[in-house]
Amino acid sequence: MTRIIVMTSGKGGVGKSTCTANLGMALAQRNQRVAVVDADFGLRNLDLLLGLENRIVYTALDVLAGDCTVEKALVKDKRQPTLGLLAAAQNRNKEAITPNQMKELVAGLAPSNDFILIDCPAGIEMGFQNAIAPAKEAIVVTTPEISAVRDADRVIGLLEANDVKFTKLLINRIKPKMVQEDQMMSVRDVLDILAVPLLGVVPDDERVIVSSNRGEPLVLEKQLSLAGVAFNNIARRLLGEEVPLIDLTATHDDLFSRLRRFLRGS
Amino acid sequence: MAPDDSAAAVTDSGLDTGTDTAIDASIVAPEVPVDKPATSAEAAGSEHSSPAPPQPAPPIDPRTQLRLRNEGDHLVLLMPSGPQSEAEGGALAWGELLQHFRQRLNGGEPFWQPNTVVHLAASDRLLDARQLQALDDILTAAQLRLKRVITSRRQTAMAAVTVGYSVDQLEAEDTLVQSPPPPGKPLAEPLYLQTTVRSGVEIRHPGTIVVLGDANPGSSLVAEGDILVWGRLRGIAHAGFGGDRDRYIMALQMQPTQLRLADLVARAPDSPGTDYLPEVAYVGNNAIRIAQAQAFARQHFDATLGQGAQPTDAF
Repeated sequence: MTRIIVMTSGKGGVGKSTCTANLGMALAQRNQRVAVVDADFGLRNLDLLLGLENRIVYTALDVLAGDCTVEKALVKDKRQPTLGLLAAAQNRNKEAITPNQMKELVAGLAPSNDFILIDCPAGIEMGFQNAIAPAKEAIVVTTPEISAVRDADRVIGLLEANDVKFTKLLINRIKPKMVQEDQMMSVRDVLDILAVPLLGVVPDDERVIVSSNRGEPLVLEKQLSLAGVAFNNIARRLLGEEVPLIDLTATHDDLFSRLRRFLRGS
Repeated sequence: MAPDDSAAAVTDSGLDTGTDTAIDASIVAPEVPVDKPATSAEAAGSEHSSPAPPQPAPPIDPRTQLRLRNEGDHLVLLMPSGPQSEAEGGALAWGELLQHFRQRLNGGEPFWQPNTVVHLAASDRLLDARQLQALDDILTAAQLRLKRVITSRRQTAMAAVTVGYSVDQLEAEDTLVQSPPPPGKPLAEPLYLQTTVRSGVEIRHPGTIVVLGDANPGSSLVAEGDILVWGRLRGIAHAGFGGDRDRYIMALQMQPTQLRLADLVARAPDSPGTDYLPEVAYVGNNAIRIAQAQAFARQHFDATLGQGAQPTDAF
């Protein structure tokens, strides 16, 4: 049974595509056949994050036009051959495709893959409707900011109303130090509002920017960063393993921060 | 905290004593005449008025959503009137209508047996076969069966016959046309929702709304009756929509973006409190007031007790 998961957030810039690229790669490293589908027509960038930009020959629209098969349009990753990317067309916009066509595309990919990750565009308009149409599960990506959480809440409501029943939450770009100093929403605060099962927490990491620029997902690094470990753990949880959350506070819980907290009286 | 002044609890003026609590909700809409609560409904029309606090209650009609009514052996799906064609943006409105209906069905504890028959009261709304099918799909998913369509529009009747429902065609001026009710009409049955009401979800109901769960920021609850939230109320709540000021908004944790009772509006203070006890919002002295639930109950619901002799502190 192929698991069809949409990665969505409502708000832009919270790291949907980064998470999609890393999760796709991490799953592929665990011998899963993974297809990542870029549903962001007109503003595609999943191919950049995966470093596959210059290998795209056919896009989803070519498949729908009947110019090639969906297998042929799938760009295989050199580093992990079980990972494939179905690119969106860059020269069109969101209205170039309908929810039913999206279902058709995904149905074509389903037999030969274990996981299909759909990278949803920001917003809740046509692009969002397209991206969630084929999905059975959803991963809602949010950052611990009030605006992102509000949008995530809206999106979860829309997912529920559109028959995507299994929604999980991924909290991205958390800064443990700021949380400890009470300057940022904690994981608990976010869960308090959104009330959906937590899939994982990814710490803020400057290396994400480097890896995006290079087109090499973090999980490929030899010496994994904390964020890379977090993505690996999330992939394992998706596969049904029980992995405890990594203790992000460990490095920041030194004598001074304890003293500060003590003085603040919390 | 709670006013133990038993003298205050005896008389009706005890209304004002329970206000020493977390939220200072005393912003009254200044322009609205006190004894004409219906004025706010006259501005009806635009649904998305921005929630600027010190304004009269915004114009939202709670009868503009799809809802189910129990009729004994079957349910009636009441459709708001408004013959919108696709040309005048009706398609979009239709999508939102379905969206809200789905969210409502998802959150509701079903009060029907599987395979209960539904009659669609479409009033004067124009529906085509595709829209009927969409409704049928939603109802089927909720284990309901659409059997009959009641309409005053000929085209809707034709479409319904084509798809295979039995049809009652009514004269255009009929009781099913849901114009705002004449005064004295009873409220609808309470709407019971077991769900998190999320941002963007709007629940409107011409009766009392009970939510078992949180109402998140960005959500809105609009009721002609009371609103009870067994959870955190963090969105907008508007009780007594029809202008009835004797309505309450109750929540286990009262942290609303805004409270509206009949024609009055209040907002939460800019600096939120820390710990919350169950609270009740009500109208007293032409303003929205908030009291702790216990103190409020003592004063309002035990009015009969209050008429007896009051025990002193010594006992």
